[in-house]
Amino acid sequence: MENPPIIEMKGIRKGFPGIVANDDITITLQKGEVLALLGENGAGKSTLMSILFGLYRPDRGTISIKGKEVQISSPTQANDMGIGMVHQHFKLVHNFTITENIVLGLEPRKGLGMDLESASKRIKQLSEHYGLNVDPDEKIEDVSVGMQQRVEILKMLYRDAEVLIFDEPTAVLTPQEIQDLMKIMKNMIDEGKSIILITHKLKEIKAIADRCTVIRRGKLIGTVDVADTSTEAMAEMMVGREVSFTVDKEDREVDKKVLEIQGLNVINRRGVMGVKDFWLDVYGGEILGLAGVDGNGQTELVEALTGLTRVESGKILINGKDVTHSNIRERIESGLAHIPEDRQKRGLVLDYSVEDNFILENYGDDRFNTYGFMNRGAIRENSEAIILDFDVRAGQGSDTPARSLSGGNQQKAIVGREISHNPDLLIAVQPTRGLDVGSIEYIHKRLIEQRDSGKAVLLVSLELDEILDLSDRIAVISHGELIGLVNADEIDENEAGLMMAGVAKGSKS
Amino acid sequence: MKLKLPHMHRTMTVHLIAVFLGLAAGAVFMISTGNNPFAGYAYLFKGALMNYERIGNTLATATPLIFTGLSVAFAFNTGLFNIGASGQLLAGGLCATAVGLTVVLPKPLLLLLMLLAAIVGGGLWGFIPGFLKALFNVHEVVATIMMNWIAYWVVNYTVPAYFKGEFLETESRKIPDIASLRVPWLTELLDGSYLNLGFFIAIFVSLVIWVILKKTVLGYELKAAGFNRHAAEYAGMKVNRNIVLSMTIAGALAGIGGLSLYAGYAVNIQIGILPNQGFDGIAVSLLGANSPIGVLFTALFFGILHSGKGFMNAMTEIPPEIGETIIAILIYFAATKILIERFLDKMNTRFVNRISVQTGEVIEKGGN
Amino acid sequence: MKKALIVLFALALVFGGLVSCKKKAAEAPEVTVEKLKVGMVTDAGTIDDKSFNQGTWEGILRASAEGTVSEKYLKPTGTTEADYVKEIGNLYDAGYKFIVTPGFKFETAIFAAQTKYPDARFVLIDGIPHPGDWNAVVGDNTVSIFFAEHESGFLAGVATALQLGEGEAGFIGGMEIPPVQKFNWGFQQGLAYANDNLDTNVLIKAENIIYQGTFSEVAAGQQLGAGMFDKGVDVIFCAAGGVGLGAINEAKARAKKNEDVWIVGVDVDQYAHGIYEGDKSIILTSAMKYIDVAAYDMIQAEIEGNFPGGQILTMDSTNAGVGIPPGNPNLDSSVENKVADVFNLVKSGSIVVSAEQGNLVK
Repeated sequence: MENPPIIEMKGIRKGFPGIVANDDITITLQKGEVLALLGENGAGKSTLMSILFGLYRPDRGTISIKGKEVQISSPTQANDMGIGMVHQHFKLVHNFTITENIVLGLEPRKGLGMDLESASKRIKQLSEHYGLNVDPDEKIEDVSVGMQQRVEILKMLYRDAEVLIFDEPTAVLTPQEIQDLMKIMKNMIDEGKSIILITHKLKEIKAIADRCTVIRRGKLIGTVDVADTSTEAMAEMMVGREVSFTVDKEDREVDKKVLEIQGLNVINRRGVMGVKDFWLDVYGGEILGLAGVDGNGQTELVEALTGLTRVESGKILINGKDVTHSNIRERIESGLAHIPEDRQKRGLVLDYSVEDNFILENYGDDRFNTYGFMNRGAIRENSEAIILDFDVRAGQGSDTPARSLSGGNQQKAIVGREISHNPDLLIAVQPTRGLDVGSIEYIHKRLIEQRDSGKAVLLVSLELDEILDLSDRIAVISHGELIGLVNADEIDENEAGLMMAGVAKGSKS
Repeated sequence: MKLKLPHMHRTMTVHLIAVFLGLAAGAVFMISTGNNPFAGYAYLFKGALMNYERIGNTLATATPLIFTGLSVAFAFNTGLFNIGASGQLLAGGLCATAVGLTVVLPKPLLLLLMLLAAIVGGGLWGFIPGFLKALFNVHEVVATIMMNWIAYWVVNYTVPAYFKGEFLETESRKIPDIASLRVPWLTELLDGSYLNLGFFIAIFVSLVIWVILKKTVLGYELKAAGFNRHAAEYAGMKVNRNIVLSMTIAGALAGIGGLSLYAGYAVNIQIGILPNQGFDGIAVSLLGANSPIGVLFTALFFGILHSGKGFMNAMTEIPPEIGETIIAILIYFAATKILIERFLDKMNTRFVNRISVQTGEVIEKGGN
Repeated sequence: MKKALIVLFALALVFGGLVSCKKKAAEAPEVTVEKLKVGMVTDAGTIDDKSFNQGTWEGILRASAEGTVSEKYLKPTGTTEADYVKEIGNLYDAGYKFIVTPGFKFETAIFAAQTKYPDARFVLIDGIPHPGDWNAVVGDNTVSIFFAEHESGFLAGVATALQLGEGEAGFIGGMEIPPVQKFNWGFQQGLAYANDNLDTNVLIKAENIIYQGTFSEVAAGQQLGAGMFDKGVDVIFCAAGGVGLGAINEAKARAKKNEDVWIVGVDVDQYAHGIYEGDKSIILTSAMKYIDVAAYDMIQAEIEGNFPGGQILTMDSTNAGVGIPPGNPNLDSSVENKVADVFNLVKSGSIVVSAEQGNLVK
C-alpha cells in the first residue's frame, strides 16, 4: 500500500444540545491533494473541521496524522502538528501591519525587543514563493479583503503548516480574486502541501479539487473522484434530490413604471461622490439586474433608495410619488421592500425570535398592536404563515432565536418577510450570497414569482451568473455611474465583464 | 409560554450557582484571614434578617438598588450603558426633596407630586446624555459620568443655598413627616425599621418595566435597537428618538430611586456624596441578567449583604474592610455567570449525548 | 425566583443554627474580667484617615492597651442617618454599649439612638444630638464634646508667624462649616496677634482664603495649593481633610525642588504625613484637636463610674484639649517656648480668641 494518509478522521461523532452535527463521519486526506468537503450550510462541515483544528472534542472517533493516532485539544496544538486553518471570518488586528499580524503569538525575540525585520523578510520570501504578492509592511486596514485572506494563508505557511483548511474561502472574494486564490492553492499543492477545502460551490470543486467528500445533515454521503463525477451528481448528493441549474422564466410584458431614479448623486462615507448622476427606471413585471464590481457605488445607490443614506441631489420616485426625502418607514409604506446585503447586520435582530423578526418593519400595524401591547396571537399567525410559505426551517418554530438559524434559513426568513409585505418594488441585494444550492434555487424562484405577479424587482448582485440568469434587463454600474443598460438576451458573460470593468457598450433600453 | 420555562429555570440556576460560588469564595477569604466562614455568614444573614426591624431595614436598603438596577437594566436592554444612575438618583432626589420641603399638600397628593418631581429630575438627567448621543454621537458612558458630577455639584450648591438644615452642615432640612415615604403603620409593624412606601413602589415599577419590555410595542422597538441598531434603522425605527426615550426612562427610574433614598430611607438629602447605589446598580443589573424581575431579587440579595455586613463585623473578628472585600468578591464571582453557563452547556451536551448514545437514536437538527 | 429566596433563608437558618450551637459551647470559660465593650462607628472616611476617625480610634486603643476595654469599629455603607443608626444597632446588638462617634454628621443619628437604646452610652465628638432642627437634646446617656478650634487655630497662627517672621500665609478649608471657619478665624487672629505683639510680619490676603467645598477632592486641593504657592504664599493652613492632603502633596513636590513652602496641619499631628525626604517634613506644625484625649477620657470616666451623661463638654486650652503638638521639629525651640507662653495666656483668659468672624477678612 501507499503511504498512510496525512490525515484520517475515523468515525467522528459530535453532538450539541438537540442536534448531532457529525454522525460517524470518516474522511482521509492524502499528501499533495485537495480534498473538497461539500455540504449545504449547517450540514456539519465546519464542526468537523473545528474538531480537526482542536476547537471541539469529538464525542467518539479517532484522528490520525500520518498513521499515528493523536488527540488535538487546542488550535495551538493543531498548529504544532502542522494543521492550519483559514477561517471564513478573518482574525486579524486591523491597525497592525501584516508582519505583526502574522507573527502574533510567536513573536521572534531579539534581546528584549521584537525582531520584526527578519520576520518580514521571511514573509516576503514565502509570499514570493507561493505567488501571494503580499507587502508585509502594509497595515491590515489598508488592504483589500482578498489580501487579508492571503495574510491568513501566510500566517499558516509561516507556522509551517502542512495541511491547510480553507473554510468557504471564496464567499468574500470577487471573481478575479477567486481565480488568484485557485492559482495560489495550486502552487501550494505543487510545494507538497495538502488542502481541505470547505465549500458548497461546485464550480470551485470542479476547478481545483481531486476528491470530494459530501456530508448531508451530519452524515457522510460518500467520497467521489471529482474528475469522474458530474456537477449535477455532486449537487444531488449534497441536497438529496435533483437540482435544476437553469432558471425557468417566461417572457412577459412589463407594466407601469414603479421606480424612477432621476439624476441621483450620493456622497459616501469617505466624503466622495459614490453615485454620480444616475438615471434608471424599473418597471413592474421585470427583474432589473444591477451588475458591477464590488465597491462601485452599489451600496450607496441602495442605501439612497431605501433611505439609509441622504441624497445629495436628484430625485427618487416610487409609484410616481417623490420619496427623495422620505424616511425609511414612509418608503416602506409606499411599497418598497429591501433584502439587505448583510443579513446579520441589517436584516435580522439575531437575539429576537423568528416571529419577532417577521414584524420588524410592521410591528406598529393595528394587526400586531393592541393599545401599545403586542398582539402575540396575530404575530404567531403571521410567523407560521411565512415559515410555511417560504420553507424556513427553524428547530423550535416561531420561537427559534434568529441566531440559531442556518445562513440559508436566515436569508429565507428575510426574503419571506419582505415578500410577505407584498411590495411593489423589491430591492434584493446579494440575495443568495453564501447560500447553498437548494436555498439559491428557492430564492430565485421566489424572485421570479414577484416579477410574474407584476411587481418590480431590482436585483443587485456581484455574481454575474445570477444577474444573467434572472434579469430581464441588465444595468451596469462602474465608478458610481450607469455605463450600460441592455436587455439580458443581448449580452453574454464576456461583454458584461467588459462593461463591469468600465468599458461602455451602446446604451439601450 | 411553555417553551420559555426551561429557559427561565436555567437562568435562575445559573444565578444561584453564581451566588453560591461567590459565597464560597468569600468563605475562602474568611478562612485565609483566620475567621470561621460559617459564623461569618450566619451573622451576615442574621444581621440582615434576624428580626422584623432588620428585615425591614434590609428591604429598605434594597429599595434604591432596585431602582438603580432597573435603570441600568432598562438602558442595557436597549443597548445603552448607563453609568449615570448616581447622578440621576441625585437629581431625582433633589427635585423630590425640593418639592417635599416647599409644597404644602395632603400627604397622598404631596407624595405623588414628589414622585413626579423625581421622575422629571432623574428623567432630565437621562435625557441629556440620550440627546447628546442621538444628535452628536457622544458616547453615553462619557456623558453620564459627566452628568454624575454635574448632579453632584448642583446638589452641592442648591442644598446649602436653598434647603439648608438650620442645625445641619452637609444636609438639607429634614423632610417633614407629611412628605416622607415612611408611614407610621409600616414603621410600627416592623418595629421601627426604615421600610417605607418606596419598596412597594419599587415592586410595582419592576412589574411595569417588565411589562413594557416584554409585552409592549415600545419595548419591542427599544430592544430591537439595543440588540441591533443597524437592523432597527433598516426597519425604519426612529433609533435616535428611541435612544433619547430609553435614557430618559432609565434616568427617571434612578430618579425615583432618589426619592426612595432621600425621602424614605433617609430624611434629607446630603451634599458631598455621589451615592454608591448608582454604581451598585450596575452590578445588580448584571447579576439580575438585565431582567426587571432578576433585578428585583438581586437587589434584595445586595440588601442582605449590605445590611448584614455590619452585624457580621460586630460579632466576629472580621474587620469592616475585609467585610467589604468579601462583598466585592461575592459580587465579582456572581458576575462570572457566563463561565457557569458554559459549564452547564457542557454538562448538558454530555447528558444529551449519553442519552442518544444509549438509545442509539439520532436527534436531527431542525433544518438546514 | 421564589426558590432563590427560600434557598437564601435556608442557608441563613443552617448557618445560624451552626453558630448558635458553637456559641453555647464557647460561652462557659469566658468568665474572666468584665471588660468595657467600646464600639465606634466611622465617618465617611477610612479608619486611618489621619483625622477624626483615626484620632478617635487611637483614643479607644489607648484605653484598650490598659486592658480594661475591648473595642470594635464598624464602617457604615452610606452616610445617611439610617446607615449610621443601623451600625449603632449592630454594635448594640453585639454587646458594645459604649459607643463613640466622630463628627457632626452623627448628630441626628445619635439623637435617634440615645432614646432607642436608653441603656447604652454615647460619646458624640464635635456635635450635639438633635432631630434636624434647633431642638437639641443631650440625653442622660450621651456626652457631647466640642473643641475650641479657634484657640487651636490661634496658637498655630502664632507659631507660624513666629517661625517665619515675615511672609505670606494662606488658608484652604473643606466645607464652609463652623468647625472649619473657627480654625480659619483663630488662625487669622493668631497671625495678627503675633504681628502686633511679637514683632512679626506674616500677612494673609482675602484671595488666599478658600473653602474648596468638600473634604474629599484631593486633586482640587493640590491645584489650590499650587495656585497659592505660585502667587507667593509661603505657608498654607489646611483644614480640609482630603483636600488638605492634596495641598500637602503639592508642597512636598515643591520642597523636593528646594522651594521653601510650608503647610500647617489640622486636627491631628500631621508631621509624619508631610515627610518628603529622610525625616524632613513640610508640616510646620499642626492645629490640633486632641480627639484621642476626648475619647480616652470619656472611656476612663465610664470605667470609674462618673460618665458625665447629659453634658456638653468643650475641649479647649483650659483642659489641654487643643493646641499644637508637643514636639515640632520644624519650629525653633524659642518659638515653641513662646507659643507655650501664649498658650498659658489663652488658658488664663488674658487673651480671648473670638469664635466669630467679627471684622476678619473672610
